[in-house]
Amino acid sequence: MIMVRLFGMLKSMAGASDGTLALDLPEGSSVRDLIETLERQHPQIWELIAKKKVVVSVNQEIAQEATPIRETDEIALLPPFAGGASGTSRGA
Amino acid sequence: MAVHTEETMLVRVQRENFSIDEEIDRVRRRSTRIGGIVTFLGTARDRSRGRDVSSITFEHYEGMAQKKLREIRTRALERFNVIEVLILHRYGNIEVGENIVLIVVGAEHRVDAFQACQWCIDELKQITPIWKLEHTPEGEVWVEEHP
Repeated sequence: MIMVRLFGMLKSMAGASDGTLALDLPEGSSVRDLIETLERQHPQIWELIAKKKVVVSVNQEIAQEATPIRETDEIALLPPFAGGASGTSRGA
Repeated sequence: MAVHTEETMLVRVQRENFSIDEEIDRVRRRSTRIGGIVTFLGTARDRSRGRDVSSITFEHYEGMAQKKLREIRTRALERFNVIEVLILHRYGNIEVGENIVLIVVGAEHRVDAFQACQWCIDELKQITPIWKLEHTPEGEVWVEEHP
């Protein structure tokens, strides 16, 4: 079982008030497998990942699809940062 | 050990407000070679994207946010001809007009300090996992909540 940390709007989207999502991933999984699991179980969140609005981090670094995932890793889903990384908002 | 503590104070994510004077002094104390200090202070606006805003709640990824801010400080020190860089960001509920983020850069000369300060705040906004929930009369909106 992998515990995925959620931030910002993703908590309410996943209905996870404690900010974590438990996903059952087989041993030897990668970020790609995690994304495929989200496509089945949380299609709204998956859509944001597909649109590159949400990124996956492993051990506090932005991960690629091929990045392996172990049960002991710190996995998180990161929505667009407040500063407007996607360039649609103007900050302070 | 004292040096380590002082360096820890140069990159912080904290709930409580900060004193700009104290933070400038923290940078000033680092070297008598500093001849110019540039600051950027971000404060909470009462209007955003055409909507009134009554307050803002900042959420951060504890650990990763600090790590990214430390990276920004280190890269700024390598990339620009500056002597010291301080980066401070608040989280939690912040009322209109209150302080949110502070960058303080000390250098021998102003041009380097201005450049590094602008680079730091631009970089912070791009790579730091901090999220902003705006409280408006119409409800709460996560900034960038537009898939």
